[in-house]
Amino acid sequence: MTAPLDIVICGGGTAGWMTAAALTGMLPETMRNVRLIESDEIGTVGVGEATLPQMKDFNDAVGIIEPDMMRRTQATFKLGIEFIDWGLKGSSYIHPFGVLGQPVSGAEFLHHWTRARLAGHATDIEDYSFAIQACRANRFDFPIDDKAAVASTYAYAYHLDASLYAAYLRKFSEARGLRRQEGRIVSVQKNGESGAIVSVTLESGEVVAGDLFIDCTGFRGLLIGDEMQSPFEDWTKWLPCDRAVAMPCESAGPLRPYTRSTALEAGWQWQIPLQHRMGNGYVYSSGFLSDDGAAARLVSRLEGAPLGDPRFLKFRAGRRTCSWTENCVAIGLSSGFLEPLESTSIYLIQTAVLSLLKLLPGKRIDPALRTEFNRLVDIEYDRVRDFLILHYHLNSRDDSELWRYCRNMSVPDSLTEKIEAFRHRGHVEIYRHGLFAPPSWISVMVGQGLSPEGYDRLVDNVPMERTLSAMAAQRSAIAESVGRLPAHDAFVRDYCPARSPERQSAPAGT
Amino acid sequence: MARPVQSVLIVGRDAAAWLTALGLFRAFGPAGVTIRVLELPSILTKADVYATLPSQQALHRLLGIDEADILRVAKGVPVLGQRFANWSGAAPPFLHAYDTQGAPFSGVEFLHYWLRAREEGMNVALEDFSVGAAAAKQGRLAIFGPETATFSRATYGYHFDAQPYVRAVRSLAQRLGIERIEGQFAGAETTRDGIQKVLLVGGESVSADLYVDATGAEAALACRMPTDRFEDWGKCLPCNRMIAATAPRLSQLPGFSQVLAHAGGWIGIYPLQTRTAVQALYDSGVVSDSEMIDALPVLSRLSIEGDAVVSGLRTGIREAWQGNCVAIGGAASMLEPLDATSLHSVHIGISTLVSLFPVDAEKMPEARIYNTSLRGHAENLRDFQLAHYHLNRRFDSPFWNKVRDVPLPPGLASRLALFGARGRVLINDNETFQEENWLSILIGHGLIPRSWDQLAGKMPQAEQIGFFQRMLGFIAKEVSGMPSIEAHMELTAPASAPQSSF
Repeated sequence: MTAPLDIVICGGGTAGWMTAAALTGMLPETMRNVRLIESDEIGTVGVGEATLPQMKDFNDAVGIIEPDMMRRTQATFKLGIEFIDWGLKGSSYIHPFGVLGQPVSGAEFLHHWTRARLAGHATDIEDYSFAIQACRANRFDFPIDDKAAVASTYAYAYHLDASLYAAYLRKFSEARGLRRQEGRIVSVQKNGESGAIVSVTLESGEVVAGDLFIDCTGFRGLLIGDEMQSPFEDWTKWLPCDRAVAMPCESAGPLRPYTRSTALEAGWQWQIPLQHRMGNGYVYSSGFLSDDGAAARLVSRLEGAPLGDPRFLKFRAGRRTCSWTENCVAIGLSSGFLEPLESTSIYLIQTAVLSLLKLLPGKRIDPALRTEFNRLVDIEYDRVRDFLILHYHLNSRDDSELWRYCRNMSVPDSLTEKIEAFRHRGHVEIYRHGLFAPPSWISVMVGQGLSPEGYDRLVDNVPMERTLSAMAAQRSAIAESVGRLPAHDAFVRDYCPARSPERQSAPAGT
Repeated sequence: MARPVQSVLIVGRDAAAWLTALGLFRAFGPAGVTIRVLELPSILTKADVYATLPSQQALHRLLGIDEADILRVAKGVPVLGQRFANWSGAAPPFLHAYDTQGAPFSGVEFLHYWLRAREEGMNVALEDFSVGAAAAKQGRLAIFGPETATFSRATYGYHFDAQPYVRAVRSLAQRLGIERIEGQFAGAETTRDGIQKVLLVGGESVSADLYVDATGAEAALACRMPTDRFEDWGKCLPCNRMIAATAPRLSQLPGFSQVLAHAGGWIGIYPLQTRTAVQALYDSGVVSDSEMIDALPVLSRLSIEGDAVVSGLRTGIREAWQGNCVAIGGAASMLEPLDATSLHSVHIGISTLVSLFPVDAEKMPEARIYNTSLRGHAENLRDFQLAHYHLNRRFDSPFWNKVRDVPLPPGLASRLALFGARGRVLINDNETFQEENWLSILIGHGLIPRSWDQLAGKMPQAEQIGFFQRMLGFIAKEVSGMPSIEAHMELTAPASAPQSSF
């Protein structure tokens, strides 16, 4: 073996500590020498307190024990996202982590559902999702292994306090040999010929050299932007929200196993239930609403007593065209930003970290590794982008300018084609890489008012009565099975109870 | 309101026409869609062979073609892979088996452990860790229980005698009631929207809601569409001539096809139950037809019986679905017959058409999705074929020097670059061949990655040696218990059996 690779992670926060945990948790110490530079003066954004089911895979791969992590991050379970007032004011639908209906006689459920609907037998598609029904009933349990049972047809994610998660990962990483360096980076030294980063200098004058520099400095993109000049592709014309205001409040009512997203006049509001509080925020477009207006609107909508003052964030939707440039790899917000509408921030960090591990270079970097990393990052961001735009574009709200703009804006061709294929015949593309799978597209399109006008002809081989009775059987199996689940709050109390924190100790996050 | 498609007219010949007819009939016949076939004269000769990939098993199951029956009637044999010889100078031949190699460990693919061990001095070929390759070399059929199935996905494709194969599929289709139109194809009347009717010699015509062109390279319907444009791939795929010939049956059936490179192209050897089919592919700019015919016995080391049949080959692609006309198989895209992909392309065409069968006879926006998918498949297959050529290490002839230097399509270039850098196979959407297939041929042709996944370094060296030895022992034991192909054929599909469902 050659000498261990010197890896310098610049910046803490969720991205920095997830990268640190993966590198130290998965690579033996003989192969790597990992340092993380972080300044206590610079606050972290705490990207996303709501996550996707893939996060469990990440934690498992790294070696994190679920109930322990959940206890220490005030975490709760998440089975989906409820969207209120999105397609239409007064509407509500849930995008679940699970399937919508089972195939009948070899033909996909959606097409049976469509044929029945067109023939006058309309039913609510939510009744065919175990995960949605569990959300509606505020119940939770782990999916079971028996693939034939409806109680196996979903996955789960977490709501957690991202700052506590970062702190948890810090402990985990430091126990595995990571060296944390307190300090602020004041300058960067580059190789005049190759343009690669040689070292960074801290305020204290200390010089930290390395082979590979991971930029986890957030929106600033201290290394990838300022130093490496990796261009930023701006997507504001499709995703006009550029601000958020966050403010936690006391919990009220039963503990929901889902995130709630409510469309408001100039954007949308999140509500993320944690064990000790409710995370709230308003994501809005500064072109349509002032900061004060947004804060006031958020306060007026809190379900419990506010905990702390409003915190404001500025951002811009888009991504770097080369997240990995020379020996600098951007992970997290330095690599790109997509609003937390579908809880993708932590997922995007995780796929970048795992791709980096698979493509980890030696002291000399083979350019093909960079090319592949950037290709994978681009696929993920572009897929999520289209899915987010869909939420804004497919609306029939007429109460404010933002929604009219979004309905009429021109969207990427890739998205127009998806919408038209769905409208024409309920077709949803299946990809090998990246988010999102067909049930996600189906639930958002149907939920926002777009139901297919045609269906797969194979369905016509099944008599309508058989379809209808199979559909009825699916509905009742789900209703019955969900009725046996424990309540979400009881389950959390039993599995991963957190200590109640001192008030306001945890910063809010988005 | 949509007007559903009620009738389909397939204009075509040979396997593509009848497989498509069966496929559409099985899918939409029960719902009342009429499927008719206007058959063009066959271009098959007695010497022709259909070499297929394992996916043919699934297609046959879907169409209701019984395996034992079709093997018996079409003198077929199962094959577990393809053996490539003479592609790389002095390097030994390698087997592209339809199977994985080794077992992943601790989330890291086996290849990386193999690369590491190789660096540490181990000298065992990657294919030695494949159950399918071991079985193929011993002429055994990979039939195994659940324990081995956790380690290996070994499976097989087929060789079929082409003429009896088509007869069997046609007779099944007709027995099921698929109508074969009596008449001779004369042309088609088209407008901007598509085909109005198909014309027969003598003035009659036939119309349908949807037309399928399964006429092979001729593309008899597709080439009449106003939007038609053929994209020629002759610049990258070098062979433009083909000879089909016959040699005597091999005394012991091997478990693979052979692909032998020669100075101006390659020769395929496909064992069948009663004879051996031989194909020669070449560049007419390098070798003449008569030179190739003369060289065939020497190069194949087989005695050629009867006439060798020469034909032209033009590789390339067109938009498969234009207006109300869907081209399937060779009419949509034509490749070299290099990796047993010709019936697979037909299969992809059929299954994609079934899942995108137009919901409205008046407008068919499905065409865009269909064409994107079919083009993806065809380009990925082309790149797989190109990889063989590009990675050759023959420095003895201008033909091979030239094909090594042909500029690569960007997708293949980055695929090879990534594999060379880290042993990772870039897999796209619409991909026929999977990781194991790609790495089998890339390693086989001598592209050894410059680095491996460092997580493979976590296993102590002594442990890794034991891990490898156990694997090799397991494979040897498993394969020795498998039936020989010869014995299996005698048992399940004896060529002498009298009755057949066809």
